[in-house]
Amino acid sequence: MAAQMKDKEAYQRLNYLYQAAHCVLSQNPENVELARFYCFTQKTIARRLVLRQDPSVKRTLCKKCCSLLIPGVTATTRQRRKKNKTRFTVMRCLSCGQSKTLLNNPDYSLWVDRPEAQMEQQKQPEPSRKNQPKVKRRDGSVPSSKPSAAPSSTST
Amino acid sequence: MDEALVQVAIPRDLVDFLRVEPQTNSKAQAFTKAFLRNSTQQQSQLKVQSMLSHKAVILGYSRPKKDKSRRNSKKAKGLNARQKRAMKIFQIKPEHQRYELFLPLHELWRQYITDLCSGLKSTSSPQFIQQKLLKADFHGAIITVVRSKCPSYVGITGILVQEFKHVFKIITKEDKLKVIPKRNSVFAVEINGFVSHIYGSKFEQRASERSAKKFKVRGTIDL
Repeated sequence: MAAQMKDKEAYQRLNYLYQAAHCVLSQNPENVELARFYCFTQKTIARRLVLRQDPSVKRTLCKKCCSLLIPGVTATTRQRRKKNKTRFTVMRCLSCGQSKTLLNNPDYSLWVDRPEAQMEQQKQPEPSRKNQPKVKRRDGSVPSSKPSAAPSSTST
Repeated sequence: MDEALVQVAIPRDLVDFLRVEPQTNSKAQAFTKAFLRNSTQQQSQLKVQSMLSHKAVILGYSRPKKDKSRRNSKKAKGLNARQKRAMKIFQIKPEHQRYELFLPLHELWRQYITDLCSGLKSTSSPQFIQQKLLKADFHGAIITVVRSKCPSYVGITGILVQEFKHVFKIITKEDKLKVIPKRNSVFAVEINGFVSHIYGSKFEQRASERSAKKFKVRGTIDL
């Protein structure tokens, strides 16, 4: 019980930092440095306490310089394809040039959303307890100022 | 295209359909400015290219090095400390150091703290709140320097913008960014009438490291 409460605090903190970065950027879209600092802190906290971040959060952070990727403000989002077959969404960070490529697959669903993952949670009681605050974290991240672009890319 | 047509607000039925909210005028203006600046950056690169095209280039054949790219792929993708310092990755530019810009951040922080302390009523015990505040995040709080070894720091009030290992960066109402060392000074944080003091000497860690660290229950108080 105590461990779960402690986790909850940390998740609240991560949520706050993520929202703060959004807040700073919405106030002044050119103040990339401060938003990057908050995201960097968020990333290091998650690494120290060994907390998993939701993919929707991870996809809006730059891997290289930790800045928040918002299409049009700090990142460019383009559709690319290879030989008429597969299409990708390419997000490119404007400050460092790092790009991340996501495959457009409408049938793709995250491991957390799949029924097998739920089965696994029921088998082992301990991981399921750890996962509970994660769900809360996802709910908390949704009301942040801008909807993340990553989920839309998977649905296109 | 008429400029007035661009600035027209989105009709109500479209708002429901697209699930987008029209932004306020100032926010929209700020966004457009940043967007235009970001999208017009490519011109400077073109200039460089045209300059290079007038230069004499010595042509020679060299074998492409294959093993070098392989070594690069194994390397970590992140930046190292020197590159970070060169990019000035966390330094706020002087034109962004304005007090009003950080007021929404402070509002967000107050929501976060009241949520963290489960309502923050006057009945809840101070020990419980202190325990919570130890692990909380202080970015966006309004803090005041209460005591310090250096008397010129005493009395400075402002919104905490960045927290580093040995230093707080505070933005004051006069739009000035103050850098205050944590060691040998005491800070006060005020939330809805609650005032809690932070002993800076005990706080000398990075913001991210504090979340994992265990504090001693009774520390020595000097100063």
